[in-house]
Order: sequence, then structure tokens, then C-alpha cells
Amino acid sequence: MPETSRRGLLFGTAAVSAGVLLTACTSNEPKEAAATDTGPVASDDKPGKAVTIGFAGPQADHGWLNAINDQAKSRAKKYSDVTLDITEGSNDIAAQIGQVETLINKKVDVLVILPADGKALTQVGLKAMRAGIPVINLDRIFSNPQAFRAYIGGDNYGMGVSAGNYIGQKLKGKKDAKVIELAGIDGLELTQQRSKGFDDALKNYPNIKKVARQAADFTVESGQAKMAQLLQAQSSFDALWNHDDDQGVGALRAIQQAGRDDFLMVGGAGAKAAMDAIKADNSVLKATVLYPPTMAASAIDLARTLGQSKGISGLAELEIPAQVTLYSAVVDKDNVDQYLPTGFR
Amino acid sequence: MAPTPPTTPLLTMSGITKTFPGVRALDGVDLEVEAGEVHCLLGQNGAGKSTLIKVLAGAHQPDDGVINWRGEEVTLKSPIAAMRLGIATIYQELDLVEGLSVAENVFLGHEPTTAGFVVRGREARSAATALLARLGHPEIRAHQLVGSLSAAQQQIVSMARALSHDVRLIVMDEPSAALDPDEVDNLFRTVATLTADGVAVIYISHRLEEIRRIGDRVTVIKDGRTVAVALPAKQTPTRDVVALMTGRNVEYVFPERPAATAAGAPRPEPVLRVEGLSREGEFASLDLEVRPGEIVGLAGLVGSGRSEILETVYGARKPTTGRVLVDGVPLRPGSVRAAVRAGLGLAPEERKAQGLLMLESVTRNVSVSSLPRFARGGWLDRSAERAAAQRATRELSLRPDNPDARIRTLSGGNQQKAVLARWLLRGCRVLLLDEPTRGVDVGARAELYAVIRRLADEGLAVLLVSSEVPEVLGLADRVLVLREGLVVHRAPARELDEHRVLDLVMEGSPTP
Amino acid sequence: MKQPASEARQGGPDAPATPDPTPSSAASDASAKSTEEKKGWRALGLRLDVRNLSLLGVLAALIVVGGITKPDQFLDTNNLQLVLTQASVIGVVTVGMTFVITSGGIDLSVGAIVALASVWATTLATQEFGFAGILFTAVLVGLGCGLVNGVLIAYGGMVPFIATLAMLASARGLALMITDGKTQIVTVTSVLDLGVPDSYVLGIPPLVLVFAAVTVVGWLILNRTTFGRRTIAVGGNPEAARLAGIDVRRQRLYLYLFSGLCCGIAAFLLIILAGSGQNTNGNLYELDAIAAAIIGGTLLSGGRGTIIGSVLGVLVFTTITNIFALNNLQSDVQQIAKGAIIVAAVLVQRRTLRNGEV
Repeated sequence: MPETSRRGLLFGTAAVSAGVLLTACTSNEPKEAAATDTGPVASDDKPGKAVTIGFAGPQADHGWLNAINDQAKSRAKKYSDVTLDITEGSNDIAAQIGQVETLINKKVDVLVILPADGKALTQVGLKAMRAGIPVINLDRIFSNPQAFRAYIGGDNYGMGVSAGNYIGQKLKGKKDAKVIELAGIDGLELTQQRSKGFDDALKNYPNIKKVARQAADFTVESGQAKMAQLLQAQSSFDALWNHDDDQGVGALRAIQQAGRDDFLMVGGAGAKAAMDAIKADNSVLKATVLYPPTMAASAIDLARTLGQSKGISGLAELEIPAQVTLYSAVVDKDNVDQYLPTGFR
Repeated sequence: MAPTPPTTPLLTMSGITKTFPGVRALDGVDLEVEAGEVHCLLGQNGAGKSTLIKVLAGAHQPDDGVINWRGEEVTLKSPIAAMRLGIATIYQELDLVEGLSVAENVFLGHEPTTAGFVVRGREARSAATALLARLGHPEIRAHQLVGSLSAAQQQIVSMARALSHDVRLIVMDEPSAALDPDEVDNLFRTVATLTADGVAVIYISHRLEEIRRIGDRVTVIKDGRTVAVALPAKQTPTRDVVALMTGRNVEYVFPERPAATAAGAPRPEPVLRVEGLSREGEFASLDLEVRPGEIVGLAGLVGSGRSEILETVYGARKPTTGRVLVDGVPLRPGSVRAAVRAGLGLAPEERKAQGLLMLESVTRNVSVSSLPRFARGGWLDRSAERAAAQRATRELSLRPDNPDARIRTLSGGNQQKAVLARWLLRGCRVLLLDEPTRGVDVGARAELYAVIRRLADEGLAVLLVSSEVPEVLGLADRVLVLREGLVVHRAPARELDEHRVLDLVMEGSPTP
Repeated sequence: MKQPASEARQGGPDAPATPDPTPSSAASDASAKSTEEKKGWRALGLRLDVRNLSLLGVLAALIVVGGITKPDQFLDTNNLQLVLTQASVIGVVTVGMTFVITSGGIDLSVGAIVALASVWATTLATQEFGFAGILFTAVLVGLGCGLVNGVLIAYGGMVPFIATLAMLASARGLALMITDGKTQIVTVTSVLDLGVPDSYVLGIPPLVLVFAAVTVVGWLILNRTTFGRRTIAVGGNPEAARLAGIDVRRQRLYLYLFSGLCCGIAAFLLIILAGSGQNTNGNLYELDAIAAAIIGGTLLSGGRGTIIGSVLGVLVFTTITNIFALNNLQSDVQQIAKGAIIVAAVLVQRRTLRNGEV
């Protein structure tokens, strides 16, 4: 069958060359690589005692979590006295417990843990503490305060409150103002907390009514789909709060596709794309409420300070505090330049 | 049926009829079984044995007929109903759970329990041990996993399961098929233990010598009918039994052989030639040739390698040695496509499972091997396809004359014609027919024979396999007799008769 | 959903394609009669059958519900455009899936292939090649994954469930590796422009045009080509197909390639729609596509498939989502309704089929 084999050869050649071409296309390196900016380092940044910090986080399958890893890594790099032992991220609870146990066995000086699930990782946190390794619990809190030396994390309820208050201020004096909400994954507690904070804040503004809410699932695809439906359902409204800037990319796309610009949009989390849009001021996106991934950098700072047995400057305390809950600042056109370096991609 | 007044028979089935779409599987079957006997059920593949035992197991509902159980008329609505009466069936494909232990299998579905759901494992194990001991197989341990047992041991477990119910009749479907000779001896001892306890056994097997060894009486069925009731198993001559199984009970009309062949006129070159074809454990060093216009028949009992030969010639199985040539050109071994391209066509034994697309129309079943002919660049000309299929089916007088009819609404004979039409349309030159009248109503057979002869007259070479000796003798020009994978005799069909073939086929079997 | 169900049930036996429920003795008469009745449809070149009718009933009922609850928003052109646009991505995937299921297989990797193709086609390196680069990469990645599936299943002898499950895992992993979890924004304007109203052709969004084209081509291939006929034969009885001289393995290879191709096209549509590529794209597409094909009337065991039914299935799901969102009902209720629709549609279908032709 010479015909068949020639056809086969042609096909094979095409496949191989296509493969080579394709492989070259996986690169995501931008022309000028911008290093992640983690802000000013701690004031007391004179090299001290060498500290090994173990870091265990979930799988970075989402922009924000990826930013967490970046923040931790680049922060640690800034200190000559810090060695960072970072594990492969995992969403599997059992796998993450195993990773933490490995870090304990390696006798790292301090542990930073962003658990896949706070409750499920509490036991291994306790184990580390009992082994004499102080634990910094990042964002998703353990169910037992004894399982961490210090907790640092965001405030989901406060995020909703900030968004509600910002929108309330912007719509002040407007009669019968209508607001809609594009929430994140409904099955997550943090989504419920954000929505509750948002609703509670809106109660301060009797002229505003929330007329619709749909839940997307933190993906661009779902953001586009749900936003398109919301826009069709509500022919006019005044403001939109979107919980997450990643799904916001899709929401903005839907808004663009529907040709709508009759409202103001507030985002959530603080992605760089969102901040760029706020700075450019050419879309409905006017502000975003932070849920800052810089908390990972702060966690490294705390870990280093703990490892070197120091306190935090700026506080009268000799010891670092047990819990730090971050404030969800609102970034809008006025202050965007200040926050832009912390925006994540 | 012979009345046996003093004792009521354990089971009497009379006039059992069961029809499936397109075929009458049972056509008035009678069966009578006494308590404590081994009653053998004989019949060829497709004679209706499996349907009959499924009726008895409650898996099929008969259309007509009466079942009496210990003197009372009963209906067996479901397998559970049959089991409650004390009828257990051990199928060829054992229905054991390999991942469970022997005891768990024995008591599956009726475990001894506390409070209705807590299984009393120890009690189940000791009860299972007792049952296995009663069957004479204490070496099988109740806690062993069934998956770790041999086929013979698994069969014993199936019997223990049957005994765990209060069973009075055990149906065994070809229990010896998967066993070694000494395992068969063991099985027979177990069967003897059962019958000594008054349990009746219906024993199905193709092996006549086994029936002779353990059987008390024999019932023979053929084409869904009982052809002999309650023959004495030990005294009836083997040849008579085989004749009952394979012989005609209706005089078929076979078409005339063409005069040219009979007169020995100059013959065309063979189109199909098989040289030294062997397959490990199935058949060995087969040589044969088939000329255009000729029908060659292979006769033999089940297990003689008949179907395996056809499938190997067709490329559906790969030969160990030997080759198949069409017009002198060897075919790539083990390639159906090469065979089809060279002009071979197969009408397989299991028509529904291997031959037909049961969800589809007649047209699509006929055209499936010739699609490129109706296509330009892959696009089908459906009216041309339909017309061509209709021409082919009309030529074979397939009824209904409706190319859009669903194939499964057709009778067995017409389904077979659809398969033949497929190869006719393809323009095939060698037709391989495996049991072409299996499941075909008696009335429709003569027509099918005529069709096959006409195709040969038109220049096709036909290689025919059948377990029915009269069919091979009546239809074929030349006959090869097979026994255990070897050709034991070759002769023109005119020079053979049924008795001679049966003697050849069974040479070596104990003949009284 | 009781209303459409009973409608369809009553409508079933009167439907033109339904033969008399007579047993085999009278089968020849019955099928001959039904053939004559079917001629009208054949003249149109269309064979709507019972399965499609019952699903059309469900869709009609949904439209009534939407029209009553939200007359202003539901019954307008924008909303029609919206529903069809949202249906296009999963619709294209479902066409490919319908072929695979008809052949007796299953492709669990479609969502993962869409994700991988969409991120591979939106890397900064690919975007440098512009429109053609993105389209070419998306389609090629889809075909590549389909090729791997096909070779493993057809020539490696792997069960489709396992082979495509493995592809699901690896393609998702590779997608994550490429993106690092980041959203890849598309900056190529010629691609983005296809997603906004300016690009609509006579009011029809380009995405919907592609969806329609894939549907028509899929329908033609399944019903009018040797490829389609072989697909049905392989699904209906692989052994009979083999003994009839069909190259069953090659056919299987082509089928998974085709499904991969559909995923590649769908990924390109998704890139246009979302203006980006993300490794979480195509989440649970496999289940949506299988569900749509099954409620459409394609047999999960193979041997029978309907493209029209599958597309109707997709439209039913998209319309439900739309009506629920317009009425501001939350995702939990939407999911429950979706499950109920699947059960209802399959039950109605089984009933009408039993009344009709077993």
C-alpha cells in the first residue's frame, strides 16, 4: 500500500512539526519580566541568626493562591539569613499533612502553613507546636488556637463590608439605587461571609436595594456566563460587586459584550489586571476590595522574627501578637498607584 | 407420556412453548423427572435446552404449557419462586462472587442473621463446612475466597449453595465442560451422593459417554421439540441417540445438484485453497479446496473444530501454522479485512451476536460491508444504497420486501438471508456458512437451502459447516468429516449416508 | 416538569415515526405502513423521531415557563443571542461526544482538553502569532489529545473510561503547569472582536454560527457518510462490524480524534467568549456533554445516536440556567432542577420508546 504509507508519512511529518511548533508556544515569559514586589522589608532587616522556614500551601490553581506562593518566595529571597523550604502545593488534605510532617522531621525553625482545610490540618499544627516548632497559620484558621503561635489572614466579612460601604458612599443621595452581586463558589464559607458583610454594610444605606445575586465559581468562564445572565435579567442597575477579580475578567468581558456602561463595578481580591483597569479608568470597574496576598510576605516576616526571637517594631509588645487580621482596603483611582505593585497576575 | 401411577413424578413439564421475536425457541416440549434420578437432557446447540432450563429456573415465562411440581400445577414467576419450591440451577457461567468467601457465597441472599442484618459468620461457616462435607469435599474450606478455587471446586460451591436451600431438583448445565477427567469423576461421585439423598438432577451434556455413566433416563430435544422422552440412558444405542439429536424429523427438500458436477465435467480452478492450517488445541493440518460453483461441507460434532476452522479461514482467528490462499494468493493471516477484500464472506454461527446490527434496518445490515461503493468522498448516496440492498434482498426473496424494516422484526431465516445479501452485494466469491439454519424455522429451511444452492450455481464457492448431518449431506457436493480437529474422511456427498457419517464422527466413543 | 412529560407521552404514539406496537407476527405490515408515513419527513431530508419530539416538548414547556415568569427579559432577541452563545461552547463538545458515545465509547477528557487547548492557545508566545496562531494551536492541541486517546483505546486496548480518565488528569495537570494558576488575558483584538455585538452577522453571533456549522456537519457525517454508518455499526455490534470487514480499530481512533477536534474548536470559542485562557476552563464539561447526549436520545451502550437530540439537550440545559438566573434563583436550585430534568427526560424517552418500538 504505497499510497497509504505516503499518506502516513505526510501525516507523521505534519504531526511532528506541529508538535515542535506547539511546544515552543507554552512559554509564558513576558518580554520584560517584572519581579513580584512585596513592599518594603521589615525595618529591622539587618541579617541575624540564620532561620529555616518551612512553607506548606495548597495547590496554586488560582491566581490568588499563586500570588501567595510568589510573595512568600520573593520575600524570603530578600533576607540573606532566611532559607525557605517550600513544599509542592496540594489540595489533598492527607498529602498536605504528610508534607507538614516531613517539614517537622526536617526540624525547620518555623513553619508557615496555609492549610487546604483549616480544621483538617489542626492536628498536625498541634504536633508541630508540641515538637517545639512555632507555627504561623496563614489565612485559613485552625480550629484550635494552640495549633499556632501566630495567625495572619484576611477578613472575608470585612471585605464585604468594605465593598458595601464603598458602594454606599458612591450612591449616596441616589433614590432607589439598585445593586447586584456576583458571588464566588457558593459552597465555600468564605463566600457566605463576604455576602453577609456586604448585606450588613448595605443596611446602613436605606436608599440602596440588592436586586439580584448569582454565584460563579472563581473562574473566568463562569464569571462571563453568570454575568451575561445577570445583565440580561437586570436592564438597569447602579452598582455591581464581584467577589473575585479572576472571575471578574469574565464578568468584564460579558459587560463589554452586552455593551453596558450604566453602572459602577467593584472587584475583589486585588488582581493586577483589575488595578490596571482601575488606573486606566476606561471601564465600569472603578475599585477593588483587597484580600491581599502580601499576607504571605508578612507571614515570612513574622516567621523570621519568631525564629530570631524578636518582637515587631512599632508595637510596644515584646512578643509578636497571636492573631493579625488584615484590613480589606478599597483600591480606587486615587490610591491605585500605591497598591499596583502588590497586584497579582 | 408414560403414566407412572404408583409415584407422582417430581416434575412434569408438558407442551412448553416459548417464542422470541423471529424464532420459536420451544415448540411444545415435554419433560418428566422422578425424585432421585439423574435425568439427562440432550440436544444440539440451539435446540432449546437453555431456554427450557431458564423456564424451569423462572428466568423465562413460557407462552404456553403446564408445569407440575410434586403433583401440583405451579407457575414459576421468578428465579426466587423457583428456588423457594426447591429448584436450583447451576449455569455454565457460574454465578459466584469471586471476592467473597465460600461460606458467604453459599449463603448469599439468605445469610443466617441476628436482628435481621448482623450476619452470624461463624454459624454460616460451620453450616457451609457441613454442606461441603456432605458433598464429599471437605478439602474446600468455608473461609477460602471463591476466586482462589479451581473451576471444579467452584462448581461444588454452587452445589452447596443449592443445597443450602431445601432443594429437590438441581439443574446442571454442562457441568463437565470445564473439568479434567479426574475432576469429572469427583463430580459424578457428588452427583451420586445427591441422588442417594433423593434429590433429582437434570444433567445437560454433549458427552454421550458421561450420560451413559451416570444417567438414568434421557430426554432428547431438537428444534424446540421433544423427540424422545425418558429413554433408558444405559441401554439406548449411541447411534440412535445421536440420530435423534441430529437427524431430520421433517423431510427437508434439498435442491438438485447441478448436472455438470454430477457428470464430472471439466472443473474450474479452486478459488479457495487451505494448506496445512492448524490452531493449537482446536484443529490441525487441514487441507481443503473449494471451486466456484461447489459446496463443500464440514461435518462433525460440537468440539470437532468446525466453527474454529471457518473463523480461522476468515481471518477472525490467527492460525498457528498453515495458510489460506484465494486464487493462489496467500491472505494475510488473522486479518478479516484482507479476507473480505479478497472476496470472502462469513455468515457466522451466532447470527445476532456476531452478524447483525440489531438496532438497524435491513438496508443498513446489508450495505455495511459495501459502504464505499455507495459513497463519493465519504458521502453516501442513500437512495442508491437502498436500491442496491433491495435488489440483493429481492434476489434472495427476503420478506418483508421492505428495506427499511428493522432487522430484529425479521424471522431467523430472513435474518440469515440479510447476511447472505450482504455478501451478495459485496460481490463476494467465497461464502463461509456456519450453521446457516440455526434458529431458522423448519418450514423456512428448504427455501434457504435453495438460495444457497442457487448462489453456488451462479459461481460462488461455498464452505458449509453444520452439526446436522442430513443438512451437510443434502446440501454439499463434497463432505469432510471432522473428529476432534482432524479430518477423518473425505468423500463426495453422494457416497455417504447419515449412519456412515455418524459412525465416523463418533469412532472411539464407547458403542454398546 | 409534569406538563411536558404527559404531553410528550400522549404525543408519542401519534408521532409520524412511531410504528404500531404490534408484535413480530405483524411486524412487516407495521413497518411497511410506517415507512409510507415517514416519506413526508424523508422528503424534507429530516428524520425527527420520538426521542427528539419528547425533548422538543420539554424545551417548549421551558419557553412557556420563561415567557410567563420573565416576559420582558426572556422573550427578546438579546436573550436568544445570549442563550445560543452560552450553548455554543458546550454544544460543540457535545457533538463530538455524541459520536464517541454512539460508537459505544466515552470521552471523559473533553473538559480537560478544552482547558489545555485554551491555555496553550493563549500563552504569551502563542499570542504573538495572532489570530491564526491561537486558532491553529487550539485545534492542534485538541487533535493531539484526541490522537493519544484514540491510539491508547484503539491500538493499546485500553478501556475508553480509563484512557480518557488518564487524559483528563494529565491534560488538567499540563494546563496548570502552563498557566501556573494564572489567568491568561487575550490581547489579540481580532480574536476579541468576534465576541462583541459589532461582529454579529445578521444578528447572529459568530460563536453561534460556528456551533450551527459544527452541528450541521456533525449531522451530515453521522447520517450521510460511510464514517457515520461505521460509527453506528461499531457501537451497535463491534463483533459484527469486525466480521463485516470494518476496520473497527481505525474507526475508534478517528472517533477520538474527532472528539478532540471538537474540543479544540470549543476551546477557541471559549477563548473568544471569555477573552482569556484559564486552567480551570471546561470544568465538568464531560458530565454536561454526556448528560445532554443521553437526554437527547443517544444510547449510552452505543449503536444509536442523534445529533439533533444532543443539541436539543444542550439547549434545554442552557435554557434552564437562563430562566433560573433571570428569576434570580441560586445555583443550588439550578443544580437540583438539572438533575430532575435529566431523570424526567430519560423516563419520558423510555416510555415513548416502549410504547413505540421497544
